[in-house]
Amino acid sequence: MIDFTFTEEQEMFRKAAREFAETMVASKVPEMEETGKFSDDLVKALGEAEMMALTVPEEYGGLDLGYTVRMIAIEEISKVSVAVGMMLQVCALGIEPILKFGTEEQKKRYLPAMAKGERIGTTAVTEATGGSDPTGIRTSYKKEGSDYILNGRKCFITNSHIGDTITILAKDSENPKAFSTFIMEKGMEGFKATREEHKVGMRGCNTGELALENCRVPAENLIGDEGKGMRVALAAIGDVGRGGMVGCALGLQAACLEASIKFANERILYGKPISYLQTIQNKLADMKIDLEAGQLLGYRATSMQDKGMRSSNEFAVAKYFTTEAAQRAAKMAVDIHGGYGCMEEYAVSRYLRDSFVLGPSAGTSDIMKVIIGRWALS
Amino acid sequence: MLKIIVCVKAVPDPKEAHKIKIDPATKTLTRADVPLVLNLLDKNAMELALLLKEQLDAHITVLSMGPPVAGNIVKECLALGANQGFLLSDRAFGGADAYATAYTLAKGIEKIGEFDLIICGMASSDGSTEWVGPEMAAFLKVPVVTRVNEIVEFGGEWWKVKASLENGYRLMQVKLPAVFTVSRELNTPRTLSFSGIIKARKKEITLWDLNELGVLEETVGQKGSPTIVSSLATVNSKRIAEIISGTREDKVEQLVQKLADAAVI
Amino acid sequence: MNKQCGSVWVVAEQIDCRILPVSLQLIGQARKLAKELNTSVETVILGDQMDKRVQEFFAAGADRIYLGNAPELAIYQPEMYTEMIVKLAKEHQPEIMLIGSTSMGTELAPLVAARLGTGLTAHCIDLIIDDNKILEQRIPAYGGLISIICPEKRPQMATIASGVFPHPELDESRTGEIIHLEIPNEISPRVQTLEIVREEPEGIPLESAPIVVAGGAGAGDIEGWRIIAGLSEILNAALGSTRPAVDEGWTELETMIGQSGKMVSPELYIGVGLSGELQHMVGIVGAKVMVAINNDANAPVFEQVDYGIVDDCREFVPMLIEKIKEYQERKITC
Repeated sequence: MIDFTFTEEQEMFRKAAREFAETMVASKVPEMEETGKFSDDLVKALGEAEMMALTVPEEYGGLDLGYTVRMIAIEEISKVSVAVGMMLQVCALGIEPILKFGTEEQKKRYLPAMAKGERIGTTAVTEATGGSDPTGIRTSYKKEGSDYILNGRKCFITNSHIGDTITILAKDSENPKAFSTFIMEKGMEGFKATREEHKVGMRGCNTGELALENCRVPAENLIGDEGKGMRVALAAIGDVGRGGMVGCALGLQAACLEASIKFANERILYGKPISYLQTIQNKLADMKIDLEAGQLLGYRATSMQDKGMRSSNEFAVAKYFTTEAAQRAAKMAVDIHGGYGCMEEYAVSRYLRDSFVLGPSAGTSDIMKVIIGRWALS
Repeated sequence: MLKIIVCVKAVPDPKEAHKIKIDPATKTLTRADVPLVLNLLDKNAMELALLLKEQLDAHITVLSMGPPVAGNIVKECLALGANQGFLLSDRAFGGADAYATAYTLAKGIEKIGEFDLIICGMASSDGSTEWVGPEMAAFLKVPVVTRVNEIVEFGGEWWKVKASLENGYRLMQVKLPAVFTVSRELNTPRTLSFSGIIKARKKEITLWDLNELGVLEETVGQKGSPTIVSSLATVNSKRIAEIISGTREDKVEQLVQKLADAAVI
Repeated sequence: MNKQCGSVWVVAEQIDCRILPVSLQLIGQARKLAKELNTSVETVILGDQMDKRVQEFFAAGADRIYLGNAPELAIYQPEMYTEMIVKLAKEHQPEIMLIGSTSMGTELAPLVAARLGTGLTAHCIDLIIDDNKILEQRIPAYGGLISIICPEKRPQMATIASGVFPHPELDESRTGEIIHLEIPNEISPRVQTLEIVREEPEGIPLESAPIVVAGGAGAGDIEGWRIIAGLSEILNAALGSTRPAVDEGWTELETMIGQSGKMVSPELYIGVGLSGELQHMVGIVGAKVMVAINNDANAPVFEQVDYGIVDDCREFVPMLIEKIKEYQERKITC
């Protein structure tokens, strides 16, 4: 028999994440919605709560708790704020390439500060040409002595402006089939964050462009072997990125359901709460089914990942299902709220906006279907 | 070293506790699947212990009595920073009133050994009696201060604390070892941390049943309780509301009119 | 024939030599219980210069008073008070012992009960003698009432909040016996009350307010709570609360109405965003008109009030405030 239950300890981690979300995150949401900026206090609080340390091994100052606990944490935080869940999930994308492919020296140099949240991580693959086919990128590197000179432009990068340690994918200017991944640090000459985006949802979660202009990067910042950087970058956006998005989506699904239940029990129509109406119950049931199914898919994938199994296809399925389900849930939640759902005072209007940002992040639903289709045919 | 014992209780989650009701037909309690959580005020008790541990050389023991599942809340306290945990669990302990609960906990404390300070929340959300702390103090023959809301002087043999009082406070001087029951105003409890949960892996919870505790069956649980519940009853109200309906404007208008007619505003 | 039944005791409380109303209320109830048990009512009072005050106890219905009168008893001292009451109870074997649910009573009662090896029931809302001559102690719980008895151990002990029982009619012609208690020799105390500081309560006291507005969890957040407070302000009412509202931190414990809080008996009670749990509702005694505003049409509160409004209190109350303002202005100009 397969055990579908969380351990007592995992339940306690969930409780810890929930308490953090309720006490530290909830109060910051209005400010982030209004300013569109990530709260500095919250960066500090996330670090102090060891939220960035979950997947980092103990020897590098982490907690070594694995990907299931990471998904639990992102899910709980996203119940309160998907923007914060997204910011947190992307921190791990900066960590993962160094963790999996970095030298011992690189790990010692970067991971402890990243685990503490003193240095915010992110990864930059996507360009104006898109992110799903990274071979099409134009950012290039050229060897000069023992250094590399990088030129190019990255876009739609989460944590672009607040990020300190950024792993970046570039193409060999002389060999279009060779890619390398570099660790960039905020403040390097010729490297800067430029345009800041204004997204329809996940306001406060920082997204923007990075520009590299004759940026000189020492060889010690190269991750893995030169020319073999594609798999390094994909290690970040693949399983870990999709797993993070599943956490965000599950949190949003749960938030939509919870808000809908509360409203349906309180809103009186024909002298009774609208939760007595079958049409409303039908919507709640749909949301519940999606949430249950999404959790099974998501945590199946992370439990495989924690066992060291290949889980990319499973993550693709979970990512597709949960982000689509989150959009359905947000729409139903707004529908249940009627006119109130259109008012910004009600969180469901935010959920609807946020739900649309879940889709494209870490691969659109269509791209997920390409992967899943390939899996089916293989 | 200051030896602190924090007594905690697993209570039905207050957010869902209303689901437990008296069945009007059978006059028994309806079974509802309400999860057990750490009593809210016991978090304030834990917080005081942790603050003291941060400032003094202190060792924190957590003690609870309850079903085996109450081990979870002891574990939670270990994750918050307590050093060791004890759970008194036996079918024979079931159905205890405040007196038998205090007696059993006091026996547990005697078996744990020496202590300087016992801290508990002033009441539990399910019992709301405030009896267990002072009764435990009486069994252990140590002084107690209830409803502590501020620690004024600490560290020595004599401590000074404030305890809340109707429209004011009393300033108490108390010699350790002693029992404090604490109020919500005392502090803001910290939240669980991930590394705290990891550290709790290595901390032990000792389970004691009736035999290990070395008490007689007739002194604990329902048998050791001087009080019993003799009956449950539902209440028939003397009033039934006239529901004022209409648009919001209508409802406001009607209500104010009715209150004016009754000459109460 | 049964052996002679012990007396019904009330452990009274004083502040600055003034006897607390709850102590007299309990004597009134003790009188009724004693009548059914065919026994007497006795009061214990510890304080300083209380000899001038004891007549009040007789007038309220006490037959005998145990009086501890000494400067060191002027304010509540846990150990001395406990010692004296325990010793006295062991000597005289009362059948019943009642204590007010004050801060003092709530600490003293369990200390005494544990030392006497007997049961104690908290915050009772009714006390009756059953067919077996046993004290049935009623408390609200689980949406109904539960009766607790202490079948074997004596005394049967209970704490009761002020206002649960009415003030007795005072009969100034009544007298009784005064037993002066020996003050124990210097026991070296391990806990001492150094000082009692009382502040004047802000606003209108709940217990005597003609209008009470009470708010509950339905306020939603502190903003919602302020809306409810606004209603109480415009009505010049006292603002009460339920336990969930206190737990949320919107208001102080002193404002809690009900079994373990205050008892109120206003002309008008308006319950806003509260479900009508019995623990709260038992605190409203003999209100003339009761109103509830709650968005759950099935909330039990609608079975316990005269007028019900099914609506979101955060939307409804601001409009109600405006309408009341209009009414008040009209009333002045008329």
